[in-house]
Amino acid sequence: MRPKAPRTSMTSFALGLGLLILIIQVYLFETVLGSVLDGHRSLLAGAFFASLILTLVALVFAFRARNLDR
Amino acid sequence: MAKWRKAFPVDLADESFISRREFTRFLALVSAGFTAGIGYLWGRKKPLEGAPDPHGVTETAVALGLASELAPGQSKLFTFRDQDDRCILLRTAEGDLKAYRQTCTHLGCAVRFKGGQLECPCHYGYFECGHGFPVQGPPTRPLSGVALEVKADGTLWAVGDLPKPGEAKEA
Repeated sequence: MRPKAPRTSMTSFALGLGLLILIIQVYLFETVLGSVLDGHRSLLAGAFFASLILTLVALVFAFRARNLDR
Repeated sequence: MAKWRKAFPVDLADESFISRREFTRFLALVSAGFTAGIGYLWGRKKPLEGAPDPHGVTETAVALGLASELAPGQSKLFTFRDQDDRCILLRTAEGDLKAYRQTCTHLGCAVRFKGGQLECPCHYGYFECGHGFPVQGPPTRPLSGVALEVKADGTLWAVGDLPKPGEAKEA
């Protein structure tokens, strides 16, 4: 019989943080897109690095934070 | 246990199970997608459709006929940068000549001049004629304006993009 995959679960905190980061990313992208369509490109650099930091945090939690598994 | 169970020991509940970690990984990858999207916008040289050119490329002026041809309350359509860049020229009730891109800033329908306002018939968005500001309905951003110039011989020309309302204050 095939061994069952381990059902590793993360704490609600990590899951909630991932969801929160995604909501912020959606809002950030919508704001940036609206600004670019209005001709304001100066905030693109700042928005990119802010988004990058959020993504790195999300990636760290999703792939590296083993101690969050129950 | 049934024979087929022994032959195919696959638990369907396990097959469709998504752990919290897998779901959080999916969220993180979607987040990375948004970052890539912002990076693309940052690195893109060509302005998005409907956005003003940040480098201020000189436009080729387009002749629109005599300025006196248009009576107050009348409008006419023209194309500016290319055949897809549809614009509307109008004369307000006060006698001012204004030109805007026809693309509604909500979902891109073509606006029309009706009742002294620019109306988007798709979702009933309305823009005032003075600066193209939205005054009613779903649009939240002003229309993109086209700069006009009247030559000495009375001919009217579309000569470029107007700065978006509010840009002068921020600069």
